[in-house]
Amino acid sequence: MTINIITGIVSIVIGGFYLVSALLLPTMTMGDRLGPKLFPVIVAVLSIIAGVALVVGDLVKKTGKSAKPDFGFKEHKDIWLKILAITVVGIIYGLILDSVGFLLSTALFMFFITMMTNRKKIGQNVIVSLSFAIAAYLIFAVALKLSLPRGFIETALPF
Amino acid sequence: MQQIFANLAIGLQTAFTWTNILWVIIGGTLGTIIGMLPGLGPATGVAILIPITFGMNPATALICMCAVYYGAMFGGSRSSIMLNTPGDASAIVSCFDGYQMTKQGRAGQALAISAIASFIGGSIGMILLVFLTQPIASAALKFGPAEMFSLMMFALVATITLSQGNLLKGLVAICFGLMLSTVGIDSLTAIPRFTYGIDALQDGIDFLVIIIGVYAVCEVYKNLKDVDTKLNFDSKHIGKVWITKEDWKASWKPMLRSAPLGFVIGALPGMGGTIATFMSYAMEKSLSKHPEKFGTGAIEGLAAPESANNACSCGAMVPLLTLGIPGSGTTAVMLGALMLLGVRPGPTLFTDHPEIAWGVIASMLIGNIILVLINLPLAVPLVQLLRVPTRIMLPIIMGLALVGAYFLNYSSSDLIILMIAALIGFMFWKLDIPLPPLVLALILGNTTEQNLRNAMVLSNGSLNIFFQKPISAVFLALALASLVYALVKRSRQKKTAAEKA
Repeated sequence: MTINIITGIVSIVIGGFYLVSALLLPTMTMGDRLGPKLFPVIVAVLSIIAGVALVVGDLVKKTGKSAKPDFGFKEHKDIWLKILAITVVGIIYGLILDSVGFLLSTALFMFFITMMTNRKKIGQNVIVSLSFAIAAYLIFAVALKLSLPRGFIETALPF
Repeated sequence: MQQIFANLAIGLQTAFTWTNILWVIIGGTLGTIIGMLPGLGPATGVAILIPITFGMNPATALICMCAVYYGAMFGGSRSSIMLNTPGDASAIVSCFDGYQMTKQGRAGQALAISAIASFIGGSIGMILLVFLTQPIASAALKFGPAEMFSLMMFALVATITLSQGNLLKGLVAICFGLMLSTVGIDSLTAIPRFTYGIDALQDGIDFLVIIIGVYAVCEVYKNLKDVDTKLNFDSKHIGKVWITKEDWKASWKPMLRSAPLGFVIGALPGMGGTIATFMSYAMEKSLSKHPEKFGTGAIEGLAAPESANNACSCGAMVPLLTLGIPGSGTTAVMLGALMLLGVRPGPTLFTDHPEIAWGVIASMLIGNIILVLINLPLAVPLVQLLRVPTRIMLPIIMGLALVGAYFLNYSSSDLIILMIAALIGFMFWKLDIPLPPLVLALILGNTTEQNLRNAMVLSNGSLNIFFQKPISAVFLALALASLVYALVKRSRQKKTAAEKA
């Protein structure tokens, strides 16, 4: 499996899925009849064509094929784990932000991320994450007057 | 002619307010710092600083973002010169001679010429920008849906044909971008499309969220494996940050020649600072009487690309301001931020909001002067910032990205989209699928589709409309020509590669 073949397969699968969804859109009985379908169908067909061309191109060629993918799932396992962890924590951050409030959730999020990159120095990480949360709060809520999600800490603050 | 100066006067009026000058200084300095840090370029800089612009009026916001953009162009070469590590892709060329100069103890001269060349390139680019925008914007005012559609087709096609990568992969990227742009309620018929029953997708996917995911979060992922690299350099022996008479003699012509080249490349979609700097370096090497000196610390080898680079960022403003079409990642981010503030760049910007359009242009003039004043005396202290360890820098960028994405719509579902987009972006990077065409297609997708449908309604469903209107036909011909050019160039490259093997 070369990277072009993988890209091609991804493009065919996504294009195909998108094409089916586009064809299932309701047809308008009046006005601009092809309207909402026409453009998506064109895009889907192009995507499938490009995908097929990528796959066939690398299957037919004897020399000059594209390289094998270098995802590094094994060698860089730690990096992939970190990325996955950051993804999950980022989503959790979004989910708790409104109820917990900006300061606490941001500080916790930052502490987690600094622990991913700077594991050994917990003290440094606490300082960085607290100062980030407070600085961001001062800039956005106090100076720029944007409304931030307010939790129990923010409601207790005078500003 | 008179019109241009009258407009420029309006612009100077906008630009010369304390607030705007202050934001030019802040934006320019932040841009210089972000540009300097290895792995982070202007697109990341503008993307993470979007939330700061929320409280601003549109003119100040655009002025500030532009300052970040060309500030990053000033800063990008700092780490090339000191550490042999480019701050962003367009500063790769600056390593060739810049780092050699540092090794010879001429770091001060290298830092000075890079600031001076950036200033000269930026100023020449500015002048070209002043004279070109008005005619292009006036011409574009007459464009109907057919012309706009063909123009966007050209922009999209050119993004993949003029860049270096694989054409089919570029097409795949464009298709993915267009697909994402169609998610949400169709604005013409009110039918929800591709939402799969998820309420959060009804309003569509905010492309700024994707942009922050791709240009900020994803950049953090790419840099994760380098968290423990220590950047060490000797700042005691930088010397005086100034150039000698001989240096000036060797470099003034290359700087003047490279600026227009950089400007033109910047104005074309798909070609950015990286191509501009490489081309200007190659051009100067071939014109030089001593090409063998290039790569051994020749000052003109640093001056030329630095000048091209800043002129290129002025050139990139031409399609953004006059046509509303971003030609690069950075201008795409700027377009997104502006739309958030309710301003749609394009030909009408010059008639409806001349103070914004010309204010920005005038501010670039002032910004250039301010930046050279910041960069010459403060070069040595600014370079010290390179010592901030990556392992602290990355979390801060990550935090700014998430906070910024949340503020776009105050929506936590955006953070879910952001994290998924960054993860997919990282996979695409591993698969070598180019992301700029995807981002461009995502931004232009909606307008492209609407123009296509409006044109089809006008022509009663006949495709002929795109070929019968002369301007539209020209754009389609240009798109085809760029495709043919790319195919011929690639087959030649393959031939020479085969002959070598």
